[in-house]
Amino acid sequence: MSAQAVTAREPDAFDRFGEQLADRINPIVVKEVRQGLRTRVFWIFFSLMLVACLFISLFAFAASDGIADKAGQATFIAYFVCLGFVQFFVIPYAAYRSMAREAEDETWVLLTLTGIGPRRILAGKLGSSVLQGILYASAATPFLLFSYFLNGIDLPTIIVGVVISMGYQIFLVSVSVSLATLAESRLVRSLLHFVLLGVLLQGLGFGITGAVLIGEFAQKVTSTAAFWLTSLAVLFGMITTGLLLFESAAARLSLATEDYARGARFVYAIQFIGAGLLFLWGWSISGEAEVLTAGSVTLSVYATLVGLFVASDRDGMAKVHWVSGGRYALLKPGGLRGFVLVISLLMLMAVAFTGLALGEGTLPMGAMLVLVAAPAFALLMLSLPVVVARWIPHPPWQTPAMIRLVFLGLIVLMTGVPPLIGEIVSDADDLFLNALNPVVGLINIERQSHDAMPLVLLVWGIAVGLGFSAFFSLRSRDTEWLA
Amino acid sequence: MSALLEVKGLTRYYGALKAVDDITFSLPAGTILGFIGPNGAGKSTTMRIIATLDVPTSGEVLLDGKSLVARPDQARPLLGYMPDRYGTYDDMTVFEFLDFFARAYRLRGNERKARVDSVMDFTGLMPLKDKLTSELSKGMKQRVALGRTLLHDPKLLILDEPADGLDPRARIELRELLRALASQGKAVLISSHILTELSEICDTCAIIEQGHLLATGTVQEVLSRTSNAAAFSEVELTLWAGAGMPLEEIARKTERLLLEQPLVTNVSVLNNALRFRLELAVGATPASGWVEEASVRVLKVLVNAEIPVTSFRTREHDLEDAFMSVTKGRVQ
Ligand SMILES: Nc1ncnc2c1ncn2[C@@H]1O[C@H](COP(=O)(O)OP(=O)(O)O)[C@@H](O)[C@H]1O
Ligand SMILES: [Mg+2]
Repeated sequence: MSAQAVTAREPDAFDRFGEQLADRINPIVVKEVRQGLRTRVFWIFFSLMLVACLFISLFAFAASDGIADKAGQATFIAYFVCLGFVQFFVIPYAAYRSMAREAEDETWVLLTLTGIGPRRILAGKLGSSVLQGILYASAATPFLLFSYFLNGIDLPTIIVGVVISMGYQIFLVSVSVSLATLAESRLVRSLLHFVLLGVLLQGLGFGITGAVLIGEFAQKVTSTAAFWLTSLAVLFGMITTGLLLFESAAARLSLATEDYARGARFVYAIQFIGAGLLFLWGWSISGEAEVLTAGSVTLSVYATLVGLFVASDRDGMAKVHWVSGGRYALLKPGGLRGFVLVISLLMLMAVAFTGLALGEGTLPMGAMLVLVAAPAFALLMLSLPVVVARWIPHPPWQTPAMIRLVFLGLIVLMTGVPPLIGEIVSDADDLFLNALNPVVGLINIERQSHDAMPLVLLVWGIAVGLGFSAFFSLRSRDTEWLA
Repeated sequence: MSALLEVKGLTRYYGALKAVDDITFSLPAGTILGFIGPNGAGKSTTMRIIATLDVPTSGEVLLDGKSLVARPDQARPLLGYMPDRYGTYDDMTVFEFLDFFARAYRLRGNERKARVDSVMDFTGLMPLKDKLTSELSKGMKQRVALGRTLLHDPKLLILDEPADGLDPRARIELRELLRALASQGKAVLISSHILTELSEICDTCAIIEQGHLLATGTVQEVLSRTSNAAAFSEVELTLWAGAGMPLEEIARKTERLLLEQPLVTNVSVLNNALRFRLELAVGATPASGWVEEASVRVLKVLVNAEIPVTSFRTREHDLEDAFMSVTKGRVQ
């Protein structure tokens, strides 16, 4: 009797805990798990993967005397191909379908009306996919460990492989889910479907190549700091890029009255600062100041291409957010705040990297000037479209699309036209002709080193002038909007 | 007391197409408003705007006195919307579906259980609790969808063509459910392109065509207004052949007499019955009561000519006629 009572009570408490937990977690995750466990697809792939892993193990076990020390590596890669197929193809594809069907079946609007918000919906999709991935990975982990016992592969490699593959899966799922949010019409939807299949097949190829590379080389280099730096950089890049895609999709789907910019801007800032720190780490490991130049150029390009989307946000913001935030709450919506955020981060990097390079003093003049000039080009390329777009009187509200279009036009104009003129006018001074050319200009500065000093000052002067002009025009718009 | 929902000058362009053109109406709590119009009239567009899923090109919508165009986030908890496609998930049971949306509405623990149970009770879904939604009949799917809109106890229900494709029994059950909801004080906005579906459900109706609102008011108001506005009316009379003359002869004599009368057209004979139409000349504006006046005059002539008339009645106007007359027959 009493034993029965005990066994009857235990699942009760467990159930109650489960319910409380389910109350707190994202309802989309609850739904996707319920749905997922009911579909055949999940069980088919789950058992297929297990069977495949089992076969590989048996084969490896049987063959382990013959090929001795390579066995571990080969089986590791074989396991990874199985796990990778599910993680890099099946799960992201399922996530895309699940998201696209919300739009097709018009359940998306019903979800929106509940007030759950696009961000939580997307997070639910992402979360349930990650959960599935963890389930698959944990089922495959014993097999991966088995490859360790076959020799030829070490434990850190296996752990790095599993962790990186999780990061890669998050990245691919984010790409898939964000792509699905673009599918607004039937035509676009079928087009996107093909794009997605292409992307995922490519992604699967990259993933498996990555696994092979890790399997081949990891053991020899896991002890080096460079290996850990590279692994961390790859992981960081994949996860933050995935999150950036995710956050921008959520922002795009939000209402204008919502505080939609926060997540995307936060990830942008994290990615910028994180990448900066990774470059600093690389510099301290290698002891080569050129890493700082590479960092400055990379981050400047990043600030221009990705930052453009932040800096060209639509004007103004819902008055509710204005009241609670103020003009320079940089994570809040609005063009002015986006612009200031991007430029502040850029300047922070410029000052830090220049300071460190000067302090070390080993950097050749050419590399030093490139380091200094790169952020100026970024500032120039971010400010100019804003200023130019504001000269265009129609439409009266500067749309983000318009600024991005102007940016594209300017890039083509500034990189393409001066070299063209140089071809036609043979005695033209190439240095000054391409002074504002973000590509040839930087290369020229590197080549001319000492002679390029006035050029760098000129670029900085123009960039700062345009920067302020863009800032003031954004600010006056913001004031107008609020009036 | 002001109405729960007020729509003022609502206009929505799709490019150059004016899908909704300057629509104004209001809906007090506890009433059911039928939105009637042919396909493409702009019903769904209007309802989507009221459901905060679209924004008007111009105009204003007030829900509980507050603009839902400016603050959709504040309006959403007050409204329940059911699209013309019901929007259900595969691989989910009725209970799981409702439970999921209850979670999405941030209902927790016992409160959620109670809400889901009461909604399943109200819609009669309790026996189907564990059935997959994909296996349900159309009528039952629609009840699941209706149940979903009720989970957060909204003040306004927006139902886009809910009766479309339902069998008569399911339609009657839907009507009962909506009546019950209205008596709980909810305002219901319901659309249809089939008039007979709505005439028994609604308190008030609004007739819409090509984005224009053609008539609004209680069903009775719209009927009397449109019957006056109509340019013709059907009349049927029956004859008695017991007075010596053969029926055919009486009928022919009546037909001749009728055709001599002003406004009478389309006379047809069917055994002992005659049908004809009272119709104003093209372009004449119908004065109030012209049909009654003309009927009395015709009947007087027949009686004076000693025609044995046993019944004489103008066919009663219903919403269908009202609709035909205000839309000037532009529907198929
Ligand atoms: N998203 C859209 N884009 C362009 N035109 C649309 C869109 N939605 C509806 N329309 C057009 O607007 C008009 C009204 O449509 P709708 O409101 O769906 O009518 P109803 O629901 O009364 O059948 C139709 O002519 C339709 O083609
Ligand atoms: Mg419609």
